Amino acid sequence: MAAQSDLEPVIELRGVEKHYQMGDTLVKALNGIDLKILPGDYISILGPSGCGKSTLLNILGCLDQPTIGQYFLSGQDVSHLSDDDLSQVRGKRLGFIFQSYNLIQQLTVLENIEVPLYYQGVPEEESREIAIDLARKVGLEKRLDHRPTELSGGQQQRVAIARALSNDPAVILADEATGNLDSKSGGDILRIFDELNAEGKTLILITHDEGMAKRTSRTIRLKDGEVAFDSYREEDKP
Amino acid sequence: MKVHTLIRELSPFRLKRSVLLGIKSLWMHKLRSLLTAMGIVFGVCSVIAMLAIGEGASYEAQQQIKDLGSQNIILESVKSTDSTTAGEQERSLILEYGLTYRDIAQIRATVPGVQVMIPSREVKDFLWNEAYNVDGVTLGTVPWFPEMRNRRVIRGRFFTDLEMAHSSPVCVLSRSLSRKLFPLTEAVGDTVRISTSYFRVIGVIEDDMSVANAEADTKNKGDSNVGMEMMVPLSTLEDHFGEVIFKYRSGSFEAEKVELSEVTVRIDDPTQVMSASQAIRHILERNHKKVDYKMTVPLELLRQAERTKQIFNIVLGSIAAISLLVGGIGIMNIMLATVTERTREIGIRRALGAKKKDIVIQFLIETVMLSGVGGLIGVAVGLAIPLIITHFAGMVTIIEFWSPAMAFTISVVTGVLFGIYPARRAAGMNPVEALRHE
Repeated sequence: MAAQSDLEPVIELRGVEKHYQMGDTLVKALNGIDLKILPGDYISILGPSGCGKSTLLNILGCLDQPTIGQYFLSGQDVSHLSDDDLSQVRGKRLGFIFQSYNLIQQLTVLENIEVPLYYQGVPEEESREIAIDLARKVGLEKRLDHRPTELSGGQQQRVAIARALSNDPAVILADEATGNLDSKSGGDILRIFDELNAEGKTLILITHDEGMAKRTSRTIRLKDGEVAFDSYREEDKP
Repeated sequence: MKVHTLIRELSPFRLKRSVLLGIKSLWMHKLRSLLTAMGIVFGVCSVIAMLAIGEGASYEAQQQIKDLGSQNIILESVKSTDSTTAGEQERSLILEYGLTYRDIAQIRATVPGVQVMIPSREVKDFLWNEAYNVDGVTLGTVPWFPEMRNRRVIRGRFFTDLEMAHSSPVCVLSRSLSRKLFPLTEAVGDTVRISTSYFRVIGVIEDDMSVANAEADTKNKGDSNVGMEMMVPLSTLEDHFGEVIFKYRSGSFEAEKVELSEVTVRIDDPTQVMSASQAIRHILERNHKKVDYKMTVPLELLRQAERTKQIFNIVLGSIAAISLLVGGIGIMNIMLATVTERTREIGIRRALGAKKKDIVIQFLIETVMLSGVGGLIGVAVGLAIPLIITHFAGMVTIIEFWSPAMAFTISVVTGVLFGIYPARRAAGMNPVEALRHE
């Protein structure tokens, strides 16, 4: 533990709150979250619906900004960046994996993997090489020119993983990544996650699947916009 | 920093990939893209085709007028339509009308800036070459006639001052007359007979295009004697025909006394033509109680033709603007639908690092490609239509080099203008909501 706390946290949330105005009432979707995520962490975030999981994911993913509090990503305060800068942060340091894969239908497997690289301005040949390597890594080297519609759900999610890895992100965020898959393909995806973590990647899995929580090294439970349980916290340790 | 990112944005490498991406997205909905581009296709091709037809029509009209000479004022004798004339002239049996030598003397004396005048007089009678004959016109005129009226001598020469002074029996035939009278042999050097007078042919002059074109449309082409002209010195004509001209024609008898059939007045300063024409009009009105003359001012006609063309251009411009507007609205409509349909794609791209600017560029490139491809097809069709019209209807069409370029540019500009709003709307979406969009 001591060794871990010496590391510079890749993500640090300090008193993050997110408020929404719903008619006359002010809803606090997140109510003071403090969180440190270290490089190489393998985290699952669980909680009932309405607990603020999605809001937290959006803030962690720099898709949304906290109303109050600070968010440090790799040491940089990203809580008050401009829209362009947020895009830059997302494209450079974050990888997204969604429940419904979210591949771009008119692009091939290879082109989908290349999308983040395109927005980073990586030259064509270099980006092609990276994409082919990643496709091989997720076992799709034979389907480079296929369209998403020609692939099974599991295969599509593997394309999405390759895409999330293409820009070599600091953190990978997965939102219910196995939610639309049968148990076999879901298991394949989870094995890939395990491998990635073994390689030293930082993964944050948002889920309500308790089985998934058991695989990860750290579990965070949210309730009413607060961290109700964190397996790293002294008081929560079993 | 700003300049740097801009250069990155517009680098050929990024542009090439953006264009390829645009093609892929448009290709996904081939029929929709085609129909959207159609609006622009019709707009552009109608602009080019209408311009070509209009330009051709006005060119023809202006050419006819220019052939008359823009510094000229043309006066012609015509039989008065005034009913009192017939009553007065009945007893004498000789119809006396038209321009007189007194008119031209007064014009020369009072109107400033008159450079030269071409008095001429015409006699209608049969022209003979042995057994060939043509019911044509013999025009007595002056040696400087071809130059003043922009008519070229094709073979031989026109008659000279000396021949004019000596009333030599020489003549110059119009091209169509020489073809009729001398279908097989060379006209120059041969002779033409009118009743008992013989004239030596010394040259052939091109037909009067303005008359030929204007009248060929209304008359039956094969049977007409339009353009059947023989020109002789004015003095020769007077010597041979006198002042009163008798004509015997299929049983009827006509006698006319016309001093001058036509007078062309050339004004030396082109800016004075209009005021000179006013002065001449006054003189003629005073000298002729009946309107037995006709005055044509080519410059006035030219101005009218230009005004007509301007009106035509305005009408054309509005039609073009409306059709391109319709095309543009069509594009905007489809792009708005596309943006809604692709909300999720926009969300994905934003999550993966696309800036607002990237999204704007992406959608703008798609609209510009739609309108650009539509514009290119429109240019191709628009260039083909005038050719087809010229081929089948025989109308003159003129494609100005700038008209396809202009129409194409406007189509692309339309694409940009009508693409900006949908593209900005796409870029303005909240990424979180866009990702949640079903």
